[in-house]
Parts: sequence; C-alpha cells; structure tokens
Amino acid sequence: MIELEVSRLNKKFGGNHVLKDVSFEIKGAEMIGLIGPNGAGKTTLTNVLDGAVKPNSGTVYLNGKRIDQLPPFEIAKTGLGRTFQVTRSFRRMTVLENLYVPALALGKSHTGNEVKEQALEVLEFLTMEHLRNEYARALSGGQQKLLELGRLLMLDPDIIILDEPFAGVHPKLMEVIYDYIRRANAQGKAMIIISHQMDSIFALCERLLVLNYGDLIADGTPEQVKKDPVVIEAYLGTTEDRSGTGHGDEAEQS
Amino acid sequence: MGIALLAFFFAFPFVYSAGNYDYIMHICIVGFFYAILASSWSMLAGYAGQFSFGHMAFMGLGAYTAALFCHYFFISPEPTGICTEFALGSNYLIIKNPIGVTSTTLTQDCLAQAMEKWDGAVTVSPMPVWLGVILGTLVGGIFGLLIGLLVLPLRAAYLALFTLGFSEILRATISAEIQITRGQAGIELPGLFENGITIAGHYFGKTDKIPPYFVMFFLLLGCLAILYWLSRSRFGLFVRALREDQDAAAALGVNTTRYKILVFVITSMMAASAGAVQAHYVTIITPNNLMILQMSLVVAMAVIAGVENFVAAAIGAILIEFTLEMLRTSFNIGGIEIDMTLWRLVFFGVVLMLTLRFARNGLLVPVINYFSRGHVAAETVVRRKQSESSEGASTAPGVQGGSS
Amino acid sequence: MQYSSIFWWTILWLIFWGVAGGIITRRIYLRKDLDTSNATLGGSVIGAAFGPVGLVPLWWKSPEISRAMITLSSLVVIGIIAVAFANADPENNCVSNGSFVASQITNGLIIGIIYGLMALGLTLIFGILGIVSFAHGAFYMIGGMLVYYMVVVWFPGAHPLIGVLGACALTFALGATFERLFLTPMYDNRVERPIEYGILVTFGLSFTLTYLVAALAGFNPVKVKRFFDFPRIRLPDSSDPWLIKTSRGNMELFDTVSISNPRFVAAMLSILVLLALLYFLHRTWTGKGLRAVSQDREAAAIAGINPNRMNMLAFALGSMVAALSGAVLVQAFSWLPIVGQIPEMRSFVIVVLGGLGSLPGAFVGGILVGLVEAAGTGCVPNPQKASSYIPAYGMMILVLMLLLRPMGLFGRKFASGAHGKF
Repeated sequence: MIELEVSRLNKKFGGNHVLKDVSFEIKGAEMIGLIGPNGAGKTTLTNVLDGAVKPNSGTVYLNGKRIDQLPPFEIAKTGLGRTFQVTRSFRRMTVLENLYVPALALGKSHTGNEVKEQALEVLEFLTMEHLRNEYARALSGGQQKLLELGRLLMLDPDIIILDEPFAGVHPKLMEVIYDYIRRANAQGKAMIIISHQMDSIFALCERLLVLNYGDLIADGTPEQVKKDPVVIEAYLGTTEDRSGTGHGDEAEQS
Repeated sequence: MGIALLAFFFAFPFVYSAGNYDYIMHICIVGFFYAILASSWSMLAGYAGQFSFGHMAFMGLGAYTAALFCHYFFISPEPTGICTEFALGSNYLIIKNPIGVTSTTLTQDCLAQAMEKWDGAVTVSPMPVWLGVILGTLVGGIFGLLIGLLVLPLRAAYLALFTLGFSEILRATISAEIQITRGQAGIELPGLFENGITIAGHYFGKTDKIPPYFVMFFLLLGCLAILYWLSRSRFGLFVRALREDQDAAAALGVNTTRYKILVFVITSMMAASAGAVQAHYVTIITPNNLMILQMSLVVAMAVIAGVENFVAAAIGAILIEFTLEMLRTSFNIGGIEIDMTLWRLVFFGVVLMLTLRFARNGLLVPVINYFSRGHVAAETVVRRKQSESSEGASTAPGVQGGSS
Repeated sequence: MQYSSIFWWTILWLIFWGVAGGIITRRIYLRKDLDTSNATLGGSVIGAAFGPVGLVPLWWKSPEISRAMITLSSLVVIGIIAVAFANADPENNCVSNGSFVASQITNGLIIGIIYGLMALGLTLIFGILGIVSFAHGAFYMIGGMLVYYMVVVWFPGAHPLIGVLGACALTFALGATFERLFLTPMYDNRVERPIEYGILVTFGLSFTLTYLVAALAGFNPVKVKRFFDFPRIRLPDSSDPWLIKTSRGNMELFDTVSISNPRFVAAMLSILVLLALLYFLHRTWTGKGLRAVSQDREAAAIAGINPNRMNMLAFALGSMVAALSGAVLVQAFSWLPIVGQIPEMRSFVIVVLGGLGSLPGAFVGGILVGLVEAAGTGCVPNPQKASSYIPAYGMMILVLMLLLRPMGLFGRKFASGAHGKF
C-alpha cells in the first residue's frame, strides 16, 4: 500500500514564502492533478518532495519512512520519481544507457541480460525500440520526453510526479503519454501530474490539488474543485463581475 | 587492433636497435607518463565533466611525496643520537633534518654528521623506492578526496578556477619552502633501480632503459585496465550521467556526491603514481613541472586525441609526445633558420584550437569508433530505414541530428 | 621577528573564530529561515574580528548582515593583523618607517588601478560570454610586445602613444577575429558544454600566442623606454620643495612618497582608459546594449539588441583592455613571452574577489590586490620566500572566496539552490 504523508510543509526563498503549511495525503494508486497559476509553488513542491530543495519545516513520510531531509538519490530509491519541466535527458548517452542509469542505481547487476530486457520492454512500450542505440541528443523533443518517462519506469518508483508532461508534445505522442500514465497507474503507481492543460487533467485525474501562492486551497474531485468558490476566485477568476482582477493567466485553458 | 598495439610495445625494446636507442626509449617512457596523465584526465574531464586544471598538481604531489620520503627517511641499525629517530624493531627510522640548498657541503645534515662519526662502520639503507611510490599515490588520493569534497558545489568556470588556484598554491609553496623542498633547484631522487636489477638471469644496469620502460608501461596498462573496468561498470555510466545532468541523475537514484568525489580520488591517485615513478626515472623533480604550461600539454594531448575516450587519450599522448620530439630538429629554408623547438609548440596550439573547433570528438576517437562501434551504426541505419518506411512521418523528426 | 609567536597565535585565533563563525552562522541563519547569501562570509569576518564577543550576539539576534558590517569587521581584522605584526616585528620597515609605508600604499594604489583595468576586461568577457578567458594573459603580453615592436623595432622614434594605440587596434582586431572564428559555436548549442569549450579554446589561443611570440621574438627580455619625462617641478619653492619634487624619472611627494615615472604614467593612462570605458558603457547606445546583454540575454535580444554582435564586441574589447594594460606597463617591466602568466592569475583572483561579471567589483578588487601585494612585498621578512609566496596569497584569496561566497564581494546573486549556476 502506497502512502505519502505531507504535513505542514513550509519553504521560503529569502522573504518569498513559496509553500505555506502544505499538507495532504496520498493513499494507494491515486491519479492526482496538481494545478495552480504560474508561481503557485507547484515546481517547488515537486523539488521539496524529490529532495532537490530542503523544506524549512514540515515532514514528508513515504511508506512510513521520513524522507524530507534525505538527499534526492535516497528519495528516488525509496520510491519517488519525477520528471523535469524542461526535458533533461542525458544527451550524450545512448537511449539504452539512459535507461540503464536508474536500474543500476537501484543496485541491479549490469552484467547479464535482466536489465537489458527490462529496458527493451520499456522501449517497446514507448515505441522507441528502433532508436535504442541513438544518442539522446539526436531525438526529437517529444521523444526525449518519452525517454524521461522510460527512465522512470526503470526506476520503478511508487509515486511518479510528472512536471508538465504535455507541454509542447505532438498529438500523436500525447496518446503515448496518456497511455503511459494510465498503464503506470494500473500497475499500482500513484501519479501526480502537474499541467496547465486542464482538459488533459480532467480527462485523467480523479483528484485535484490546487495551489495558489503557496497555499493549498483545494483538494477534491474535479467536480468539487470546479465548483469550489475559493478556487474560482483565486485561480479561475472568470466570474464576470471581477474580470479585471484575479490571477487568470490560465483561465482560457480551463 | 588493441592486441597488435600491446604486442608492438612489448616487443619494441627488444626489436628496435638503431643508434638512438636510448633516446627513443626515453621518449617512449615519457610518452607513457603523459599517457597516464592524459587518460586519467580524460576520465575526470571527458567522462565525469570535471574540467580540473589541478591534475599536474596531483602529479607533483605524488612526485614530491616520493622525493621527500627518499630524501629524509632512512633505516639505520644504530641510533645516530642527533637526528629525529624512532626504534623500528631492531633498526631505527632516521628522519634527516632539512638543511635546504644553502649548504655547500653535504656534511651538515645530521645523518651525514653521524655517518662521518661512524666512519663506515654502520651501513645506513635508504627507503625502498616502491614504498615511496605507494606513499605518493596515497597522498595523491588523500588530496584528491579533499579537493573533491571542496569542489562539490562548484561547476564549470568556478571549478576550473578553483583547481587552478590549488595548483598554483601548491607550486608556490614548493618553490618557497626552500629549506625542505630545495625550491626552484628541485629535489633529487634515486633512480628506479639504483643498483641495477637482474631479471630472468639478465642484469640491467642503473642507466638501462628497459626496466623503467616496463615499469612505466605496466603502470600505464594498470591504469588503463582500471579505467576500462570503471568505464564498463556502473561507475562509468553514473559519472557520464553526472556530466550530462547532475540533478536528473540524482533524481534517478544516483549518489552524485559519492561518484564525483570518487572520480577525483581515483584520477588523482593515477596522476600521483605516474608522477612518483616519473620523478624516480628522471631522478629530479622541480616545481616547474607543476606549471600551467605543463598542464596545458596534458589537456591538449587529451583534447586533440579525444577527451571522451581514455584509450584515445592514452594513444594520442604517446603519438603526440613522439611527434613533438620528432619535430624538434631545426632546419633552414632559404637561409632562414627555423627554430622548431618553439614552432612545433605553435603548431601544436593551432592543432588544439582547430580540433576543438572542427572535430569536437578529437582526432583519434573517430578511428577507434570505426573499429568498435561501426557495426552498431550500420545496424541503426538499417533499423531506422525500416521504421521510417513502416511508420511514416511520425518518427522522422527524431532522426534530424543523426549519430556522430 | 623576535616575538613571532605572538603573530602566529593571533593568526591562529583569527582562523579559528573565522572558520567557526563561517560554518555556524550559516547553520543558524539556515535554521532561522534567513537570507544566507552573506552568512558565511559575514560570520567568518565577524568571528575573526571580534571572536566570541561578536559571534554570540550575532547568533542570538541574527540581524541581516549588511555590507557595512562586513566592511567594518574586515577593517578590524586588518587592524588586528597589523597590530600583531607591529608587536611581533617592531624593527620592520613597515612598522618603524612611516614614509616607507606611505610609499608602499601609494604604489599599491597605483599598481592596483592597472590591475583593476586588466581585470575589468576579464569581467566584461565573463559578464557577456559567460566564459573565463584563459587567453587574457597572452593578450596582456601581446599588448606590451606590440608597443615594443612599433616604437623600437619597426618605427624607431615613433611616439609611444602611437604604439599604444596601434597595439589596441591590432589586439581588438585579433580578439574580434578569434571570437568570430572560434567562439561562435558556443552560442547556438553547437557545442555540448559551452563554458568548458570556451575555457579550452582560449587556453589553446594562449598557448599558441605565447609560443608564437617566443618563436618570433625569442626568449630575451625586451624593454621600452619610459613614454614621458616628468617636467621639472619644485613646489612650493625650489630651495625647499617639500610638497612636490620631480626629476625626469621620479616624483617625490611631501619628501616621503616616491613614485616612479613609468608606473605613474601607466596609472594615469589607465584612469583615462577607465573613464573612457565607463563613458562608453554608460552613455553610448552600444555600451548600454553590452550591459543589457550581460544582465539578461533574452530580454536584450527581444529589445532589439543583437547578442551575437555584443559577444564579438565584448571579447574584442575585453582582450583589448588586457593588451592595453600590457602596453602601458611595458615601460615599467622587462617583457618576455611568458610575462602574462602572473597578471592572468592575478586577474582571475581579482574577478573572483570582486564577483565574476561585476565591473565595479573588478576595479575595487584590483586596488585591494594591489595593496595586499604591496604589503606582501614590503613587510614580510625574508624577501626571497615572500616573492615566491606572492602568487599563492592571491590564489588563497581566490580559493577562499570560491568557498565562502562564490558570487564575490560585488557579484549578483545567481539563482541559488539545486539548479544554481556555480
């Protein structure tokens, strides 16, 4: 049973309070959308969960183990994987080598065929088998994105955080990513998806977390969140009488 | 191809018999020395992406440790009574007092005084050379660890400046502490085999080039073997991931801190061992060996041959050392004397810049890849053609860059 | 040094509290969620200056560490070192001889201005191209060599200033050509690691230029006569010139401070160049464009500035400034193909001290390093050892600065945290 327990997480950068007492829980293989306007703290939350940034206070427990003070690689091994907003493949390594990194980091043996077979399976799923010996830098942007997703499959974490997985992706690859998310979820992984593309979020997620300037202002099903007056005011900002105010930079996408 | 090269270098000292035998052998040994430095630097810079300018400093640390060890430590069956000394079983470990270069006679240090008093009655034995080399290697490793820890948060230009700073501090300290290191005059060491050596019934004298040739050659082979093993193991994969993207590697479970420090320790130890052996071979080490121009030679060798392949860097270093030596002879064109000792370095610098600009993988790596990766490339091309014909345009954007 | 143990114990005391202050203050500020960018440096200087007396209130109240506090504490540290030194070695020229001290300070300032000018070129290049030019020393050397060739070999009798101008023009052209030929692949991701590429390729240029000049000019030191003679001045009157007294090659102020002509002229020329450079950077369209690019590349590009042209200009200008400092100093020192190495290292120290990319930082750093070197050469007993250690002092500053505050004294704060720029 997957269990992520985030309680009263705070992060300040200088005077900038980026996360304010953020608390939530994930139990089991949930499919969660994390939304909020630009600067809401979504990426910071990801960085804190993944260990790249240490929180000023608060705790994070993953499967009963406290992870908020651990270095990123320990957290990754404990079972939390993430992608980056900007694609960060290992550009001068081949596709296969890219996939080997997380598998070997978990301590799997690099001799023998186990890892290679696993990697080929992943590539098949991503329809990238023919590219296995290409350098990652020779791939298109969308394919690099797929490669990052593939690396996560090799890491085999319990919780996967995808930071903007749909940004700038060809419609055809979009299908592959949808498929990837659903399949990973079906394999029992909890997914947290950060995106500005509301239709994708609504299509995939059964639970939404809404961040607004560091505050977690809503946590519920998409229907609940859509009706939530706090969210409408702070995030959607589409009510006619205050069209000039609010933080509605993403409003048109909802 | 690799086996042919190995066989060539094994057979070379026994087959080659021209009049300049000693000179050619000397170039070979120096070539091996640079090969160790260039290949270990290529692991540090090319694989792990840590462009350090302190590699020569680690070489110097190894050399100076070995030199100081041989210079100041002796074993004597009798206590001198005037030196710092410790009982060591039935013998005594004597530590000579530093007197620097100011003394014209060598009778001023405490051991010389004691020996004068004994008048040949007691035989004082120097420390074994191999122990100095090992100590030098260890000291190189310790400093590698220290520098590795300190440069953890630094990247790119900051790392280059920091390591350069370390190298210069070390050089200045060695030049300044004349009392201990003899400063610019350099410190003398015994040869690798001071009393000659008998191998398989054949006696090799002190100045014979064959024993040092094989010592340096086996050291090179050892380093290359370690580097090969590392590059094929998870270490090689992780340090390359670290080079490409440290944060992404950490997010995938790679302990980036550990591997960054490890790569510093390992390559520093290699540089230090090469330095210690080389110092014993040429029997002197001076602070000028740590100069930035010496470092630039190593960097240039690795870069010209291919910094992302340590085998290429090693072979390249030997070839370049030979080329540089061969180009030494000055000549006349139309009455103008061309001083090749300097022009060859100009030429070398131009080649370095052009390689960086137009052949970023180095000049040797394509050759090596032709042998080792050729089949993979062909396979990829075939597969790519297949997939293009079956899947149409959807994957086409992926092949724009092509493999290099 | 009869009481040298006092001095070394004081230094140990300073180091101990400096290290303790640096490490612990940062921890405390981190835990209290405060801005830590100044904490390490501030903590260590306050610790060194006031010891536990300063640190305990700092840790207790943890105020925002201001530049004034750091400056004050640094001055106190310098004061403590000076007093300890004076007590340890009362016979030393630096302690007993006031006019010697005044001379050293003046000369330190004068040479510091020239150092600052050279470092300014390096920081200009770093600010805009993001690379550390390892060819900076080579350009310095070339500048001096060109002046020598122009006024001594090719056109004997030509005025040295024409030589200086010629050297500037040639090195500007050389810098621009090199940038076009070798640095352009850095800008559009044609090389994978642009910063390392930049370092290596300028390194290659330095190597090539050094040996090219060695091959052409040989390894014999050359020297250029001083550019100008001082006019004969006796003030306030010729029988008792206590205010100012000049001979052709020297100037004496207040009967105590003596300044040699070449250095004075070099510093004056440097100040002129510096003013011209400041005018160019702050008052002209192109100069503003340069500064804009160094602050935000993308924004500048959107505003219609061509960053590509600015790269060329910055590298050419930065290299020219290095050559210029060589060109004005060639009258003061004898010149060799490898003469650029020490100034190059010194420039690295200065820009790291002042903050890579910061123009005022380079200048202040230059003067600081000039003063420290003057103190180092003048005060340390055993001059032979001192002269060997001088490059190391600078490098220790560099190494410490990179550890304590990588953005330097005046540097901008780069993005911090896991994705920081260091």
